[in-house]
Amino acid sequence: MLVLTRKLQQSIMIGEEIEIVVLEVRGEGVRLGIRAPKNVTVHRKEVFDLIRDENAGAASVSPEDLPPGPDPS
Amino acid sequence: MISTANPVVPTNAIQLEGTRFGAIAFDPADAVEFSEGLIGFETSKRFVTISAGEGSPFRWLQSLDDPTLAFLLADPDVFLPTYAPELPNGALAGLGIAPGSPYLLFTTANVPPGRPREATLNLAAPIVVNPYARRGAQIVLDGDAYTIRHRAFPQASEPEKGERARRAA
Repeated sequence: MLVLTRKLQQSIMIGEEIEIVVLEVRGEGVRLGIRAPKNVTVHRKEVFDLIRDENAGAASVSPEDLPPGPDPS
Repeated sequence: MISTANPVVPTNAIQLEGTRFGAIAFDPADAVEFSEGLIGFETSKRFVTISAGEGSPFRWLQSLDDPTLAFLLADPDVFLPTYAPELPNGALAGLGIAPGSPYLLFTTANVPPGRPREATLNLAAPIVVNPYARRGAQIVLDGDAYTIRHRAFPQASEPEKGERARRAA
C-alpha cells in the first residue's frame, strides 16, 4: 500500500482522471471529495463488500430452494 | 420444470451449455448488456433473463459469458409495492433511459439453502434495465433508506403452521 501524508485541501491524483481531495478533518472522521469520470463507480468499501456478498448469495441459490410468491393478503 | 428464455425456440437461437438449468436456448437479440457487470462479478457483461416459472415473482439473470453464473432476481413490486428507490443522478441517463421513460426494476434475492421462507431481497442495490436498448446496471442507492436484506416473507411466529397448511392442501 502506498502511504501519503496530505493536508486540508490538498489532493492526490490516481491516474490522470481521478482526484481525491481532503475536505475536512474532524476528530476521527475525514471528509473526502472525489472527482472521477462518470464511468468510474465510487463506493464506500463496507457497502461494496456487503453488496458483493449478497450478489454471491444470489448467484448460489439452488433452483430447488425457490420460494413461492408472497402470501395472499 | 424450468422454462428457458424462449419457450418457442427462434430460428436464430443460440445454445448455451452447462448452466444450472442444463442447456438453454436464447435469442441473441434478447441479451442485455451490463457494461460494468454486477458488483463483485465485473467480468460477466452479457445476460439473459430466464423465467423461474409461470406467475413466479422470481427470475434468473443468466450470464452468457459464464454459463455457471446465474443470479436470482425478484420483482420487488410483488413483495413491497411501496418500494420506490430514488436512483442517483445520472444512473438512468447512463443506461440511455430518458426522464419519464419506463424501465425495469429488479432486486437480487438470496435464499438460505433449504429455507425458502427466509428469502431476502437486496433493496439497497437494485438491478435497473433499459428494455429498449437492452442495457442494465446494478445501481447502489445513496443513503440508507433501504436495507440490503429485506425479508421477502413476513416472519412467521408459528413456522409450523404454514407447514401443516401445505401438507393439508
